[in-house]
Amino acid sequence: MKVETSYAGSIAVAEVHGRIDSANAKEFDEELSAIIGKGVSSLVIDCGGLSYISSAGLRVLLIAIRRTNEGGGGLALCAVPDHVREVLEVSGFVRLTKVFATADEAKESFAQ
Amino acid sequence: MEDRLDIEVGLHRDAPRKAMERFEQFALGHNLPMGLIFKFQLALDELLTNAVSYAFEDAEDAEVEPSISLALAVTDSTLEATVEDNGRPFNPLRDAPVPDLSLSAEDRRVGGLGIHLTKAFVQTLSYERVDGRNRLNLVQPIGAHSEEQR
Repeated sequence: MKVETSYAGSIAVAEVHGRIDSANAKEFDEELSAIIGKGVSSLVIDCGGLSYISSAGLRVLLIAIRRTNEGGGGLALCAVPDHVREVLEVSGFVRLTKVFATADEAKESFAQ
Repeated sequence: MEDRLDIEVGLHRDAPRKAMERFEQFALGHNLPMGLIFKFQLALDELLTNAVSYAFEDAEDAEVEPSISLALAVTDSTLEATVEDNGRPFNPLRDAPVPDLSLSAEDRRVGGLGIHLTKAFVQTLSYERVDGRNRLNLVQPIGAHSEEQR
């Protein structure tokens, strides 16, 4: 797994590459916590390169959703591959976070 | 390519991932559709992760060497797997907490989500306790009529 993050004010876009499972969910949690800890209130996770996510990764997403909600911002996903989207749907995560086609659309939703 | 593969999974945190790498090779070697491979892998990963995390929590009183195994088989019409451990008796199909997906992020608990996904992604799942082992059987149809093919 690799996370590449770009910042624009209080909005960050984190591009996640590779797979997130129980073997590296802790590292994913540390990556997102570090980003949110930098004063980011709104976090966009670009899933274009995300090949796989299990419930261990969903747990990390849930924590990040809570933390960004508490900070008055939020978390949005974009470029979600079909198979990952199905995991989000079955687990009810599409009700917890917005899903956009592109990172720009996701960023705009926070700018309004 | 063999039609069967037996994997001794191990007990470490990264053991499920290593087993899933071997599953993927096995499944790709049989030209199974990617959508089916993804979902079946997720189901297996969740079951193995549960076993690694919880089956041997009371292991200090274990009289036998802890073990987790995965057996895979492909037939003309099905992909099948058996996940076994010799840890404490636990039937995840019956005993795992059922997540309430209608709750907000603040009220949600993630417990049970792995089993929820497993149930959603595998057509036939069964559990039995045999000779001191938890045994889960998974069967997924393959072939032209499978609606999950991509």
